[in-house]
Amino acid sequence: MNQSQVDQARTSKGSVKFLIGILVFVLVLGGIGFLWFQSENAPNLAWMAWTKPTAIFFITIVCLLLAMSIWEAFSPGGGPRVGILRFETTRGDRLFLSLLGSGFIHLAWLGFVGPDLWRALGVSIVYALLVFTFV
Amino acid sequence: MDKPLNNKAWFFVLPVFFLVAISAIIPLMTVVNYSVQDTFGNNQFFWAGTEWYSEVLSSSRFHDALLRNLMFSGIILAIEIPLGIAIALSMPRKGIWVPVCLILMALPLLIPWNVVGTIWQVFGRADIGLLGRVLSELGVEYNYATNSVDAWVTIIIMDVWHWTSLVVLLCYSGLVAIPEAYYQAARIDGASKWKVFRYIQLPKMQRVLLIAVLLRFMDSFMIYTEPFVLTGGGPGNSTTFLSIDLVKMAIGQFDLGPAAAMSIIYFLIILLLCWVFYTVMTNFGVDAPEKEVD
Repeated sequence: MNQSQVDQARTSKGSVKFLIGILVFVLVLGGIGFLWFQSENAPNLAWMAWTKPTAIFFITIVCLLLAMSIWEAFSPGGGPRVGILRFETTRGDRLFLSLLGSGFIHLAWLGFVGPDLWRALGVSIVYALLVFTFV
Repeated sequence: MDKPLNNKAWFFVLPVFFLVAISAIIPLMTVVNYSVQDTFGNNQFFWAGTEWYSEVLSSSRFHDALLRNLMFSGIILAIEIPLGIAIALSMPRKGIWVPVCLILMALPLLIPWNVVGTIWQVFGRADIGLLGRVLSELGVEYNYATNSVDAWVTIIIMDVWHWTSLVVLLCYSGLVAIPEAYYQAARIDGASKWKVFRYIQLPKMQRVLLIAVLLRFMDSFMIYTEPFVLTGGGPGNSTTFLSIDLVKMAIGQFDLGPAAAMSIIYFLIILLLCWVFYTVMTNFGVDAPEKEVD
C-alpha cells in the first residue's frame, strides 16, 4: 500500500466517522425534539402555520442534504469538475443550481402555463438530472 | 491530503448553526407556510395553494417595484464602485493623513440609516435645508416630495454619500496589502500608471471588490429605511422599492399570504443574482493577469 492509498483509506475512515457522527446527531436532536413536542411544555407553534405539503417540501430538502452528506462520506472532495458552464463545480453547487432552477421553473410554469405544478415538478427533475450530468 | 480529517471542528460550528436556524431558517420556513395560506389573524389559516404566487407574478405593482429596485441597484453600483476605487487610489498610503482619511471615510458608515434619511430630508427641503434653499436661490426647481426625478436623484446621492465609504475602505485594504516589490518591478519595466492599475492593483483588489459589489448589491436590493424616511415611497409610487412595497402589503394591509409569496420570489431573485455575481467574479473577472504577475 503506497502513501496515497494510506491517505485515502484514512480520509474515507474519517468521513465514515463523520457520517456516523452526523446521523447520531440528527437522531439525538430529532429524538429530543420529538419528546419535547409530545410533552406538556411543548412550544406553541401555531404561528408557524404548518401544512402537510410544506412539511413534505422541507422534509424532502432535509433528506436531500442528508443524502448529499452520505454521498460526501463515501466519495469525499465534492467531485469537482469543469462542465458545460466552463468553470469548476462541486456536487453541492450542482444541487444548489438544481434547487434554484427548480424554483424558477415552478414560478415560470405558474406565470406562463397555469397552476398545475405536477408537470413543472417533472420538468424540474429532468432539469436537475441534466445539471448533475452536464454542469 | 497531508493530515487526517479532524471532524471535531464541526462541533465549533454548532453555535452558528443554531443562531442561523433561529434567525433565518425558521422564519423562512414560516414565510413558505404563510405563502400558501390565507389568514384573518388569530393564528387561523386557510389553504390557498398557489393563488398568491399567481397573483404576485401577474401584478404590475410587483413588476414596477422590481424594475425600480433593479434600476436603483444598477445605478448605485455603477457610481459607487468606480468612485470608491478612485478615492481609494488617491488616498495616502503612509503618514499622518492616513488615520484622518480613514476616520473621515468611516463617519458616514457610523450614522444609523433612519438618521441618514432624516439628514437628507432636512438637507433637501426648499425652506430650511441647505441644498434645497441653495438650489431654489439659484432658480432650480427642486422638490423631492413632488417631483419623482428629484426624489430619485436625492435617494441616489444619499446612497452614494452613505455607502461609497464602504467600497473605499474595502479597496484601500486591498491596495495597502500589495507588497512594494510589485511596484518596483513595474517601475523597472517602465509601466504606465494605467498598466500598474490594470495589471497589479485591480487584480489584487479583485477579492475585496467582489465583497464590495456583493454587499452593495444586496444592501441596495433590500434598501428600506433611507427612502422610507426621505420620501415614504413617493411621490406616488415612484420610489417604492420591493421592501417598501412588501412592508406596505404585509403590515399596512395585513395581506400576509401575498406578502409571503412576494418574499419568496424576492428571495429567489436575490439568490440567483448573488450566485451569478459570485460565479462571474470568482471565475472570470481579472484572474488571468494575476496569474501572469504571480
